[in-house]
Amino acid sequence: MAAPAAPPPTGNRKTFRRTKVSTTERAVSLATVVLLGVIGGVIWWKGRHFDPNRFALRTDALKSTAAEVKGKSGTVGGTDAGPGETRASLKTVPAAAAGEAEPGEGSAAAPAPAAKGEPLDLKLDGLKPMGDTEFYNADNLFEKIDGRAPAYLNFNVQGLRCRSFTVAGTAGSFVDVYEYRFDTPVNAFGMFSTERDPKGETLAFAPDGYASGMGFFFRQGPRYIQVMASDQNAKTMELAKAIAEDRAKALPADDAGLDARRRLPVTGLDPASVQFVQENAQGQAFLKNVFQASYDFAGKKLPFFVMVAPAADSAAAWKSYFDFAGQFGGKVTALPDMNGAKVFAAQNFGSWKVIYQRDGELGGVFDAADGDQAREFVKKYLEGQIK
Amino acid sequence: MKARTARRIAQVFFFTLFLFFVVITDLRYLKGYPVSWFLELDPLVAFATAITTHTIYMGLLWSLLLILPTLLFGRVFCNWICPYGILHHFTGWLLGKRRAEERERIESNRYKKLYSLKYVILIAMIAAAICGSLQIGWLDPICLFHRSMTVAILPILNMFFPSSFYVRQYFHVGAWIVGFLLLFLVGMNVVIPRFFCRVLCPLGAFLGTLAPVALWRIDRDPHKCVDCDLCLKSCEGASDPHTQLRKSECFVCFNCIEDCPEDAISFKFMPQLQREITAPVVPARRAFLGTLVGLTFYAFGRASGASDRNYDKKVIRPPGSVEEKDFLDRCIKCDQCLRVCPTNVLQPALMESGLEGIWTPILNMKIGYCELNCTLCGQVCPTGAIQRISIEEKTGTGTFVKEGPIRLGTAFFDHGRCLPWSMETPCVVCEEVCPVSPKAIYSREVTFTKRDGNPITLRQPYVDPALCIGCGICEHECPVTDEAAIRVTAVGETRSRDRRLLMDGGVTSAPRTLENQKR
Amino acid sequence: MSREPHQGAAGQPDPAAKDGINRREFLIRAGATGALLAGAAAGGYALWQPKHFVPGFQPEKGLQLPSYALAPNKLLPSLAIAHGTDHDKTIRAAIGALGGMDRFIKKGDVVMLKPNVAFDTPPPLAATTHPETLRAVAKLVLEAGAARVYIADNPINSPTGCFWKSGLKQVADDLNLDLMYPESGSFSPLELNGEVLRNWTFFHEPFKKATKVIGVAPCKDHNLCHSSMTMKNWYGLLGGRRSQFHQYIHSIVSDFALMMKPTLVVLDGMNVLMKNGPTGGRLSDVKPMNTVVAGTDMVAVDSYGYTHLMERDIAELTYIHKAHERGLGNKNWQDLIYKEVQA
Repeated sequence: MAAPAAPPPTGNRKTFRRTKVSTTERAVSLATVVLLGVIGGVIWWKGRHFDPNRFALRTDALKSTAAEVKGKSGTVGGTDAGPGETRASLKTVPAAAAGEAEPGEGSAAAPAPAAKGEPLDLKLDGLKPMGDTEFYNADNLFEKIDGRAPAYLNFNVQGLRCRSFTVAGTAGSFVDVYEYRFDTPVNAFGMFSTERDPKGETLAFAPDGYASGMGFFFRQGPRYIQVMASDQNAKTMELAKAIAEDRAKALPADDAGLDARRRLPVTGLDPASVQFVQENAQGQAFLKNVFQASYDFAGKKLPFFVMVAPAADSAAAWKSYFDFAGQFGGKVTALPDMNGAKVFAAQNFGSWKVIYQRDGELGGVFDAADGDQAREFVKKYLEGQIK
Repeated sequence: MKARTARRIAQVFFFTLFLFFVVITDLRYLKGYPVSWFLELDPLVAFATAITTHTIYMGLLWSLLLILPTLLFGRVFCNWICPYGILHHFTGWLLGKRRAEERERIESNRYKKLYSLKYVILIAMIAAAICGSLQIGWLDPICLFHRSMTVAILPILNMFFPSSFYVRQYFHVGAWIVGFLLLFLVGMNVVIPRFFCRVLCPLGAFLGTLAPVALWRIDRDPHKCVDCDLCLKSCEGASDPHTQLRKSECFVCFNCIEDCPEDAISFKFMPQLQREITAPVVPARRAFLGTLVGLTFYAFGRASGASDRNYDKKVIRPPGSVEEKDFLDRCIKCDQCLRVCPTNVLQPALMESGLEGIWTPILNMKIGYCELNCTLCGQVCPTGAIQRISIEEKTGTGTFVKEGPIRLGTAFFDHGRCLPWSMETPCVVCEEVCPVSPKAIYSREVTFTKRDGNPITLRQPYVDPALCIGCGICEHECPVTDEAAIRVTAVGETRSRDRRLLMDGGVTSAPRTLENQKR
Repeated sequence: MSREPHQGAAGQPDPAAKDGINRREFLIRAGATGALLAGAAAGGYALWQPKHFVPGFQPEKGLQLPSYALAPNKLLPSLAIAHGTDHDKTIRAAIGALGGMDRFIKKGDVVMLKPNVAFDTPPPLAATTHPETLRAVAKLVLEAGAARVYIADNPINSPTGCFWKSGLKQVADDLNLDLMYPESGSFSPLELNGEVLRNWTFFHEPFKKATKVIGVAPCKDHNLCHSSMTMKNWYGLLGGRRSQFHQYIHSIVSDFALMMKPTLVVLDGMNVLMKNGPTGGRLSDVKPMNTVVAGTDMVAVDSYGYTHLMERDIAELTYIHKAHERGLGNKNWQDLIYKEVQA
């Protein structure tokens, strides 16, 4: 029909209801409603999973505020400067920016040159550096690790190289990598063993190493490496482990001087007392490359030493010591073998020695006031109760 | 299930979702919900900001998800998803001619030439955008709805039901204008159904320019049709399904399919081109006028210099904001930032940043202040007018220590109004609440003789401009509440090179190293 | 009843038209939709900014100025002092003592002459480069065969007024020099590894084609940094909010010596602004010293200027010492090969 007809009269017309609904229409409509459900579900899921750093400052970020800022006193020129406030004259003091560590007083000469080195670049999947590599030397190590610095300095730490890495695909997970470099492997080992967690699990890729909590700690060459994860999520821990393995592979190994050092037990050890005597330890020509340290045992201090040498030499040294101890009126008693070791006890001028030799190891307590205690200590050591 | 039923379910779903987002945009409830999702889905926002900034900011890529169904099915967004459209649809149904005569209803849904106005509005807005002035926020439905809810509706509801939305009642400058605008637009549904959607909506116009290539559309079978015009009875888009369907106007509401007693209307794949009016009908002269208005809007707006040297000291923008000229290129005046701000400091500007800046966010320290460890405004901003910065970047800690904190402005003392400076009264609340360490407000102890002859020792405060981040809590807490004795103004803000106060802002950190040596 | 398929009356759908479309129409329409979709997606991804940035803290890249200085010459003087009462004669004498302008300018060089036109004051008040000084230098440059000579400065007062009232516009018109005003588009970001100056907006336009740069500065008192001579003259090449420089003025003036390595500098000591600088304003502030200093080392030239023309103690001129310590020049002008002549 070409021309539109006049619209039919309206009035009490029954409301029309459509009943012929095609299957396609039903299917698509249903699918759309299902899609809405999916959208709702995704939104609900998104709501639950979010980065908490959106709402609160990442605690790790606070590390940058650890150092004091000088030259910005609260009250100036008053008679009552508050506790901790620096009194300053009314003349303008050269200002320092907030949040920055200053090496000295405001008007000092140029700051100490920053430690430098090669950036810590790790090429591992799923890792992204979170900032630049930081370098510290012995002088400014405290800026990074605060109160722990003196202990490290005790072991002659040379420098620290550290960097943080974010874990891709997670919200807020990251791994911190700290590489402390010491002057000798022995010193690195010393610091490492001071902080060692006795309950840590040993690491396959680092003989001097352990996994503990959220971190992997090990000594390699003259370095003490700490790889610490921010949380215990599987992915984060996996990556932390991968980093630790990577570092173990990349950093040079060097165990110079460590044989004997390793054998010094940790229990009761006073780490500051560890000494390395290259020759003529205790005045004896046969005692070379000796590690000795002082131990807290049953309330008393006991000096203990260890020497590593081929079994024949160790046995000969033990015999020589035995013979020497009997001279000058000393009382020497050969003790029954303890756990595969030959032991003798000797008393000279009021001081006790208890010396053992087991295979390639010679050692013992060498200047104790109480002979029973000395014997007890050596016995416990040989039986593996003092580790 | 009928298509119209699916549409109704979708309407309930999306409207509820929108209201849900609006209500949970609050630190307490926000978590990870994508509360700006509707704005990110809005293709006009993505398109217009792409023109002004030459980028598509982060989540705005979502708008592709809406472009797809539009290019396939037409303006489904307008009736299925758009919460503002749903509001108008509902209002129209509630207050409109539901019980009116059938004939009246049919007449009210015929296409009118007035409906081409939205295209002229769109053209004007795009022309302005091409020149570099983003003004879609005035009338974009999602922006408008978010803004109305934030600025007017929620505070009003909170007045009647205290603490339902806010811990403390929120106020917004100029809320009455926004409220009345909403009331007017919604109320106009009584006069013309879907008045806003048909006459004014620039997003509808934008989708209406994409809809013509849709592969599916409502199709009337002329063999079955008896020309009763009943399909117009509930037609939402006024798309004339009774003759040649206006493809750019159809909202795909499926009402016509339900209303046709002859079952003559269907949703067809690539039906005859002769039975449709494919492109929108816009009179050429009006289109030209629209272009002119848009072009001159930018010119006159910028020529007034409000965003250049003659900037208003009170235009203090939220932390993470881009430079002012870029801000006006990005801000769609959705006021999401106002909604999420925990201190009510963000207010809709009026003329402070010129004509272009109306309803963009500025800080009003009399009402609130910028909380130190908070970057919520940047989290919800869909266009990057406020970038999605982290708290570390805002406070200049952690990995951002070298750059230093973001500054919004600088505080300046008004000595005549300050209690310890001019009124022999100890105070220094400003110093107490200053959140940075070392504090940006320090004091000097002075002793002098009072009016009554007795000596007094008190501390007089000073601002250290090298440390002040312009957060405004000092101004906010100052006991001189009508006009504080310490006030923050925009100079010294780090987002702008031109508005730095000290020569130590931003990347030029050389002065910081210099301060450790002798100058 | 069959009917021919035909268009109905205008606008009316033909009820008898066949439903369904042919393949060609299908391909065109589907193609159009598909193309639009693909275009939107491609455009979206191309423009996508997936990560935020922190406004005001983005790394800045800028241009780095080349050096316009000649290779150091061990035979010819690097500093020349000429005394005389006539601008033109004295300047010619000074340049002549250095070996003549031919030593510095070759035929075809594009020379940028940088005067100090900071204020809109008349020449006798000695707050700007004297027009006769500029005329003399420009003439020498043209005689040496320069292809083009640019005059440019970014004054503190309004540029058009400054060039006019200082008399320099007249010189540019007389000698057909290219006067460049500091227009908005003439500036580019500069990158410098300075003590304080790292990134700043720079008046780049005159340097785009320049092969040689000659600074022509007056000798003036300055309230903040004690004196404005050939080093401070380069301040006029920077744009933006220069008022921040006063917070670190000595460091920044020494940074200028890093920023600009000119071919030659001329310090006009014919009339010296002895007090109330840098703006001056009274003839009583001005003292005729009838001397022109020219040289390749601006630190040395300024050092002579401060001690002999301003007659002050060099110890107080912090920026000279800074520049010297940074290796940007020699403050001990007597250690250079210099020549003192009478015009």
